[in-house]
Amino acid sequence: MKEIDNPIEAPVDQSRTNPLARVFDELVRFCRSRSMFMLHYCTGCGAIELPPAMTSRFDMERLGIQPMVTPRQADILLITGYVSIKTLKRVILTYEQMGSPKYVIGICSCTVNGGMYWQSYATAKQLDQYLPVDLYIAGCMPRPEAVLEGMRKLMDRIRSGEADGWKDYYRRYDWYLGNQQHLFGDDWQTPADVIGEASHYDLAEPGTEGEHTRLLQQCQKPLEPQQTFFQIGGSLEKKGESHE
Amino acid sequence: MSIQTLLMELVLMPLVAFVVGLFMVLMLRRIGAKLQRRVGPPMMQPLYDIVKLYGKKTQISHGWMHDIGIVMAVGGYVAAETLLPVPGMDGIADKGGLVTLVYVMMIPSLGLALGVGQCANPNGSIGIARALTAMLAYDVPFVIVVFGVAWYFGTTNLVDIIAIQQAGGVAGWGAIAMPLLAIAGLFALQGMLGKQPFEIYIAPAEIATGPMVEMSGKYLGGLFVMQCFQLYTAGVLYVSLFLGGGENWLFFLIKVFAVVAIPMTVAFLFPRYKTEQMIRLMWKWPVMIGLLGLAFVMH
Repeated sequence: MKEIDNPIEAPVDQSRTNPLARVFDELVRFCRSRSMFMLHYCTGCGAIELPPAMTSRFDMERLGIQPMVTPRQADILLITGYVSIKTLKRVILTYEQMGSPKYVIGICSCTVNGGMYWQSYATAKQLDQYLPVDLYIAGCMPRPEAVLEGMRKLMDRIRSGEADGWKDYYRRYDWYLGNQQHLFGDDWQTPADVIGEASHYDLAEPGTEGEHTRLLQQCQKPLEPQQTFFQIGGSLEKKGESHE
Repeated sequence: MSIQTLLMELVLMPLVAFVVGLFMVLMLRRIGAKLQRRVGPPMMQPLYDIVKLYGKKTQISHGWMHDIGIVMAVGGYVAAETLLPVPGMDGIADKGGLVTLVYVMMIPSLGLALGVGQCANPNGSIGIARALTAMLAYDVPFVIVVFGVAWYFGTTNLVDIIAIQQAGGVAGWGAIAMPLLAIAGLFALQGMLGKQPFEIYIAPAEIATGPMVEMSGKYLGGLFVMQCFQLYTAGVLYVSLFLGGGENWLFFLIKVFAVVAIPMTVAFLFPRYKTEQMIRLMWKWPVMIGLLGLAFVMH
């Protein structure tokens, strides 16, 4: 597991020649900050603070934040609590299916440093080693006021363009993948083609590919469709095998 | 009518429908918030959502049928707007008529079915199967209502239907002359908008928003635009058939918003029916009320 301490600087985008490009960017950034669809992956006890934040007491919808049910539609991934290693696989799968720009919020101290699960062998300690976390809301557990304050902070960061963790995931994919392989083993793979996406959207950088992505390409197996059988009444047999 | 006026109306009518539809979506969310004792979203929230979705950096397509499905879904409603007369603008309403409009209003569901089919997500397939079943359920009372109205006024031309109603004042409105058909129409409206007792194909907690499950970025944005058009189309059609259309824009908008507010207000008081329950209910009560109304109209 190799750590990279100095983050790579973003290249200056000089391809925009439209004089209104800046105005348009400003508008899109403003709308992004005022409309956030939230996918709450409620892993731990912090989830209990979200219902009061969403419902009539604090009403997140005032800020344009509303819950969505699939990763494709969501902008924010909320991780509320400790992430066991088994859960982390699902969290990463979910994160890679979201459309960019996407933001990860770690709630509760468990996502910051493992919290009270520090000595657990089955818990991922620091979430930002595996996913680019844009915002931590510390506390055990943070109150709804703290959650809303954190959301407002994220809104400010999106509006000023600072919240670009999703770009960091493409730029330093090798480092993130290395940490993931360290936990899950060398044959870890996800259905999303992150390297392909990075090169398609001009976000690939030297940190995107490296020794860990080479290992991924060696161990990668093609994805097979899952076979399901339906039968009404009677016992369920695997028909595919019996005919062969 | 000159060709320039016609072209301008063909552009303006969908635009107006979109802007009015945005406010209807806002009203939907505000009514929901008020019933749950919340404040609700700010005024421009529907617009923020759509701009944000179109401004997404990565757009995940599942093939070109997915793209075309969304275009059909939005395009079907854009075509429907040009067939719906509004105060001062008739578009091609007197050429098309009611039958064409009913036909065009089915295109979005079919387009969505094509697009969602390519996503190959089981939740999406279940959702779209339910959406088409729901269409089967609410279209029977809807067609009875449309037929009854056309029989009563002796024409399928929406411009004429509105003119006849406005000539008779409030007493000449379809809702006064055919109260049973108006009630059956409200039932069908609830199903057509997919509001709560009949919300079987969205069902977020059960099949993860059904047809929308694989939609991200501009695809979801297209569906949000479609929702604006859908609310507007259903509201304006009901107003044209039963509430005398619009004498001027003020009364027109008041009537349309009032009509659309009814299903939304009812929606938040109900849980969700199962698919077979919805079909049984739709084919029993609104059809019975509608047929009774039809019998009164034809005698």
